[in-house]
Amino acid sequence: MYYIDLAVTGVSFGCMYAMMAVGLTLVYGLLRILHVAHAAVFALGAYVTVVVANATGSVDAGFLAAIFITPLFGMAIYRMLYEPLLSYRPDVPMIASVGLLVLMQDAFRIVFGEQGVTFRNNTYGFTTFDVFGVTVNAVQIAIVVSAVIIFLGLHLFTTQTRTGVGWRATVSQPKIAASFGIDSIKVRYLNFAIGSALAAVAGGMVALLNNFVDPVIGYVVSYKALAIIVLGGLGSVRGTLIASLVLGLVESYGTIFIGRWLDRDAIAFLALIALLMIRPQGFVGTRAT
Amino acid sequence: MSAYEISLLSVIGINVILAVSLNMISGFCGQISLGHGAFYGAGAYAAALAMIGTGNILLALISAIVVGSLLGIVVGFASLRVRSDFLAVTTIGVNFLFTGFVRKQGWLGGEMGISGIPGSGLGADGNMVMILLFAAATIALSLYIGRSWMGFAFRAVGEDEDTAATLGINAAAYKLAAFGIGTALAGLAGGLYTFFTQFITADAFDFILSVMLMAMVVIGGIGSTWGVVVAAIGLTLLPEAIRFVNDYRLLVFGGLLVLVIRLAPGGFAALARAVATRMSRA
Amino acid sequence: MMGAAAVAFTITSAHPTQADIKVGFQAPLTGFAATDGKSAKIAAEMAIDDINAAGGVLGQKLQLITYDDQAKSDQAIFTANKLIGEDGVKLVVNGSYSASGRAAAPVFQKAGVVMIAAYGVHPDITTAGDYVFRLVHLGPPQGRATALFIGKMLGLKKVSAITMDNDYGQATMDGFLEAAPKYGIEVINKYSYSLKDRQFGSIVASVKRDNPDGIYATGYFFTGGPLVSQLRAAGIKAPIIGSQAFDSEKFIEIAGPAAEGTYIVDSFDRNRKDEALQHFFTEFQKRAGYAPEGVAAVTYSAVKLMADGIRRAGSTDPVKVRDALAATKNFAMLEGNLNGFNSLHEIIMPISVNAIKDGKFQAAAQITDLDAFAPPEK
Repeated sequence: MYYIDLAVTGVSFGCMYAMMAVGLTLVYGLLRILHVAHAAVFALGAYVTVVVANATGSVDAGFLAAIFITPLFGMAIYRMLYEPLLSYRPDVPMIASVGLLVLMQDAFRIVFGEQGVTFRNNTYGFTTFDVFGVTVNAVQIAIVVSAVIIFLGLHLFTTQTRTGVGWRATVSQPKIAASFGIDSIKVRYLNFAIGSALAAVAGGMVALLNNFVDPVIGYVVSYKALAIIVLGGLGSVRGTLIASLVLGLVESYGTIFIGRWLDRDAIAFLALIALLMIRPQGFVGTRAT
Repeated sequence: MSAYEISLLSVIGINVILAVSLNMISGFCGQISLGHGAFYGAGAYAAALAMIGTGNILLALISAIVVGSLLGIVVGFASLRVRSDFLAVTTIGVNFLFTGFVRKQGWLGGEMGISGIPGSGLGADGNMVMILLFAAATIALSLYIGRSWMGFAFRAVGEDEDTAATLGINAAAYKLAAFGIGTALAGLAGGLYTFFTQFITADAFDFILSVMLMAMVVIGGIGSTWGVVVAAIGLTLLPEAIRFVNDYRLLVFGGLLVLVIRLAPGGFAALARAVATRMSRA
Repeated sequence: MMGAAAVAFTITSAHPTQADIKVGFQAPLTGFAATDGKSAKIAAEMAIDDINAAGGVLGQKLQLITYDDQAKSDQAIFTANKLIGEDGVKLVVNGSYSASGRAAAPVFQKAGVVMIAAYGVHPDITTAGDYVFRLVHLGPPQGRATALFIGKMLGLKKVSAITMDNDYGQATMDGFLEAAPKYGIEVINKYSYSLKDRQFGSIVASVKRDNPDGIYATGYFFTGGPLVSQLRAAGIKAPIIGSQAFDSEKFIEIAGPAAEGTYIVDSFDRNRKDEALQHFFTEFQKRAGYAPEGVAAVTYSAVKLMADGIRRAGSTDPVKVRDALAATKNFAMLEGNLNGFNSLHEIIMPISVNAIKDGKFQAAAQITDLDAFAPPEK
C-alpha cells in the first residue's frame, strides 16, 4: 500500500513535470537556447488559473484563461528577448533568460502579494477517491489523464497534420524544412505557444493540488526541468516524457532517504551535473545536433 | 566615519573583489559562471573554521584562498567537458550543491550557520582598510592580467577555442588557470566577509547572489575591469541611495540584466568607449 | 510683510519642535519572508500611531525608522549599522526572522542599543547580551510545551514528527524531541522538508504507513497549509499539531476543510475579551486587508513594550530603558499577560494553544506549567 501510494504520487508528479518540461525541450530543440524563463511562464499559468477562477467562480474558466494567456507571454519572450540574440553565443540568451526569471519572480511578488494566492472554491483539490485502499486525489487523476491526452494529441498532430509535420521537420532539419517552403518563423511561434500552454496546464494543476501559489513556485521546478531535458535528451519529447516519469518516481521513493545529506534542490542538480559530465548528450532519445 | 559608512565601504570592497574576479573567468576567458557564490562561500567557511580553530588571520585568509581555488579548479574541469550554456547550468548546480551540502552538515553549522567567529582584532575600520587594500590589489592584478600575454590567451580561448589552438594556446590549461585565479580571489573575499560579519549562514552565498554578481559583470561590460568596478560600486550603492531599488531589488537587477544584454550587450564599458570615440572625432 | 513674518516666527518658536524619539525597526520587507515582514511593518506602524495618538511618551512623539533586512544575516548587520551610525538610534525592535536577530543582536549589544526581538526564536539572540530582549517564546521551550500538550493534555502516545529544516523549525523540534519521553510520547518516525516544499507526497505516504496517534509538524503557514491538506486528503485521521508559525488566516485558507481540528501551539488567542485586542483586530484588518496573526500581534506588543519601558525609565537613555524593561512586571500584551523577563531576558508567560473549529481559531488550552518549558537562564 505504502509503495503504491508512493507510486501514485510519483507518476502524477512525473506527468506534471513532463507537461512543464516539454516546453523547455522544444525551445532547445528548435533554437539551441536554454529557456530558463520558462519557469516564469509556468508560474504565470498557475497564478492566472487561480486569479481568474476566483474572479469568475469557475476553475475551468481559470484554466482556459491560463491556456490562452501564457502562450502570448511565451511568444513575447521569444520575440523580444531571444530573436534579437540568436546570433550571439548560446550563453547570452541564457543569462538574459535567467535575468528574466529573477525579474518575473519579484514581479509576481509585487503584483500578487507575498502571501500568495489561494482558490476561493477549489472544486477538485479536496476531492479524493479510495481505490483499493489507496487514496487518490481528483487532481492527480486529472494530471495523468491530461498528460495522456496531450501527448497523444501532440503525437497525432506532428504526424498527421501538415503544420505538425512541418514543425517536426523544422526542429530536426531546419534548412531542409525551409527548402520545402515551411515557414520557420511560424514554426517558432507555434513552438513557444504550445510549450507555454502546456506549462500553463501544469501550473494550474499544481495550483489546484497545493491550493496555493506563491512567488517561489517557479524556482523549484526550473532546476528540475533542466535536469529532465538533459536526462531525456535535449530536443526529444519522448525522452522528456520518460525522464519526467523517472524523476517523479525517484523523488517519491528517494527523498525520504537522501534528505539527510543534501537538500532537495541540490539532489536534482547533483544528478544533472553527473549526467552532463558523463554524457552531455543525455541518456534517452537522440540529441538533435 | 560612522559605523554605517565603514560597513558600506567594506561591502563595496568585497563586491568589487567578487565582480572583478568573476570578470576574469567569464569576461576575459568567456567561461560563464553563474555559481560564483559557491567559491565565495567556500572561502568564508574555510576562514571561519580556521579562525575558530587557530584565531590566526593569515592562516584564515590563506585557507580561504586555497579552498576557494581548489573548488574552482574542480569546477574548471567541467568547463572542459561542456559548452558555454551548459557550463552555466553546471555552475548553477555547483552553487546549489554548495549551499545544499552546507545546510545539512552539523560541523559547518547546518541551518544555524557558524556564529561567534573570533574577530580579526583589527576592529571595523581596520577590516575596512584591509578589504579596500585587497580590492585595489585585485583591480591591479586584473588590469595587469588583462594587458599581459595571459590575458590575450584568455581572450583567445574565450572567443574562439579552435583558432586559439592553432596559435599553440592550450585552451584547457588557460581555462583552468582562469577558474583557479578567479575563484581564489572569490575565496579571499569570503575570508574578508567572515572577518566583517563574524557570523555566516549558507543563505549569504546563494544563487541569487551569483546572479547579481553576473549582472554587475554584464552591466559593467564583460571583459572590462574598470567597467565592472564601476558597476559593482554602482549596483551596491543603488539600493542604498534609492529606496525604490531597495524594495524591488530583484526586479531592478533582473530588469537591468535583461535590458543591458538586449540593448547594449557590451555593457557600460562599451557605451563609454563609443561615447569617447564619438567625442574624440567631434 | 515684516509683521507677518515676525508673527510666524513667534508662533513657531513658541512651540519648538520636540525631537521625536526614534525607534529603529528591522523587518524582512522583501525576500522569502516578505509575508511576515509586511505584517510586522503594519503592526509596528499601528503601534506607533496608537502611542502617538494617546500623547506619545514623555510628551514626545515616537518615530519609526524602518529598514528591510530580507531576513538575511548580512543585511541585518548592515541595516543595524545604518540605524546606529546614520540614524543615531538607541532603541530598536527587530521584527524579523531568527537569522536576522542573531546577526543584529551582537551589533546592538556592542553599541549599547536596546533591542527587543519580536518573534525570532533562535536561542543565540538573547545570549548576545543584556541589551537584548525577546518577546516570543524560544524555539526549544515551545517544543517542550508541545510535548506536554500532546503527551499529557491530549494523551497521545505514538507520534510522527515532521520538521521544517531551517533554524526555526529545527530549534522547536529539538525541544519537543528532548521532552517527549518525559510525557510518555514515542516518536515513531522523524521526517524533514525544506522551506520551499509545497508537495509532501512521500512524507504523507510514510506517515500513513506509521499510523500514529498524532502528528506534530513545525513550519510556516505556507508549508503547514499544504502539508495538513495533503495529510487529510490521504485519509489520515489522527490529530495534527502544528507549531507557532502555522498561526495565520492564510493557513485556514490554504488547507480549506482539512484545517478543521488542527491544533497550533503558542498560537495567538484571538478570543480574549479585551478592548485593546479588538481595536487591534479591526484596525489591522483595515490597514492590511487581512486578519492579523501572531507575528503582527507580537510586533505590535514589542513596540508598545518599548514605549512602556521608556515611560517607566523616565528617559530615553538606553541604559535606563534596558533596566526598566528588565524589571517589567505584568505587562499587558495583545497575547495575554506577560509576567516578566528572566535573567536572560526571555519572557515568562503561559503558552496558549488554539484549535481550528468551523474555520476559525478557537482557544483550546493554556499551558500554565511555567517550569516545564522555562527558558534558559543566564
